[in-house]
Amino acid sequence: MVAATLEARVRAALEEVYDPEIPVVRITDLGIVEDVRASDAAIEVDLLPTFTGCPALDAIREDVERAVAPLAEGREVRVTFRRDLAWTSDRISERAREAMKEYGLAPPGERRGLTLVQIRVACPYCGSLDTAHDSTFGPTLCRDIRYCNACRNPFEGFKPK
Amino acid sequence: MNLLLALADDELIIGHRMSEWTGWVPYVEEDLAFSSIAQDEMAHARLLYEIVSATGVDTLALGRQPHEYRNAVICERPNRDYAYTLARHFLYDTADAVRVEALRASSWKELAEAFDVVTLEERYHLEHARTWFRRIANGPVEARAKLTTALQDVIGEALSLFEPIPGEDALLADGTMPRASSEMLAAWLTQVGRELEEVGLERVLELAPEARIGEMVPTSSGAIEAEGSSPTLRVPGLQRVDGQWVHVGEFEGAGGRSGRHSPDFAALWDEMTGLYRAHPGATW
Repeated sequence: MVAATLEARVRAALEEVYDPEIPVVRITDLGIVEDVRASDAAIEVDLLPTFTGCPALDAIREDVERAVAPLAEGREVRVTFRRDLAWTSDRISERAREAMKEYGLAPPGERRGLTLVQIRVACPYCGSLDTAHDSTFGPTLCRDIRYCNACRNPFEGFKPK
Repeated sequence: MNLLLALADDELIIGHRMSEWTGWVPYVEEDLAFSSIAQDEMAHARLLYEIVSATGVDTLALGRQPHEYRNAVICERPNRDYAYTLARHFLYDTADAVRVEALRASSWKELAEAFDVVTLEERYHLEHARTWFRRIANGPVEARAKLTTALQDVIGEALSLFEPIPGEDALLADGTMPRASSEMLAAWLTQVGRELEEVGLERVLELAPEARIGEMVPTSSGAIEAEGSSPTLRVPGLQRVDGQWVHVGEFEGAGGRSGRHSPDFAALWDEMTGLYRAHPGATW
């Protein structure tokens, strides 16, 4: 019972940890918190990297450790990135998708099998579907670069994975 | 371990070469592309090294002597120009896709899991390689000519990505390798042959490198005999049989999988491991 309560408190604390590269999105909404376990000895948080080569992983780990530390009360805090499970972009919550749009980042489209090319991605600024895919690779591994023909703005999109 | 090092070292070394483009590509999207792909490839190498050594990744990646690296020679070749880089990128990533798909069914659980992750990211590399391959192949005459020459230069060494792994029989027997190197090579050749034919560049396969060096003697069978081929690091044996490209014979001259490298590797190794050797145990 204590463990269950503590786990819930840890999860609540993780709600306040934001992605360092998309600072409007909570890591819980990004779907990278895979598991939380609490015992008398330790609090363990399992995370999944979005993209394997993401350089923000260490920063995320430190942020999680900092968020959980006040709840530890002498327990060891172990934050690990799991490598045996693939994160996919369909783990991103609706709330995070809305936050991305506000931020000027198009949320990833639906994953359709292994189809990569998303024909229509809505512009996060004006909502138009008259957009073009410019570059698969953007400023971070998880973003691509697009252009809106309607409002003439370049914008970034979160890549489906 | 031979298998894991072959796979991981390929990613590390080609990632290192791609990273050399950072800041130099005259076109910002391609600068981003090669930098991002390099970042992915090195991360995949790390993911694989971590399977056998959770804490000693740097030691594995940077702490070995040159002859202990098991990457295929094609990965260590200098970038030369964009045409060569693109030709290698296309051939490497089409080959990588074949083996990643095969190894997702490996009986080595950690390896199969790693490739389940890797495959989701590699398809972006493949898409990039294919897009530019087609764009340049169907592009202006000069660009197409440069790509053709580059493909001819690289195709022979690309085959050596499928050089058999030392101890492969045992790996096949216990399911660590679900498909033999020769089978994967055949699957890759069929596909690459088709993609080259789609853009009318199948002569790249007909003029595989050992044939370009000496005098070419086309025969009635369609096979090409060549004289004066280079004795080292050439992988001969491409033939068209029943409408499909196949590789026949031994991997003469290859050797990356047993640690035999080209002279180009020394300079790459020197630069890549320099910091690690100067400051053992250094961390960020």
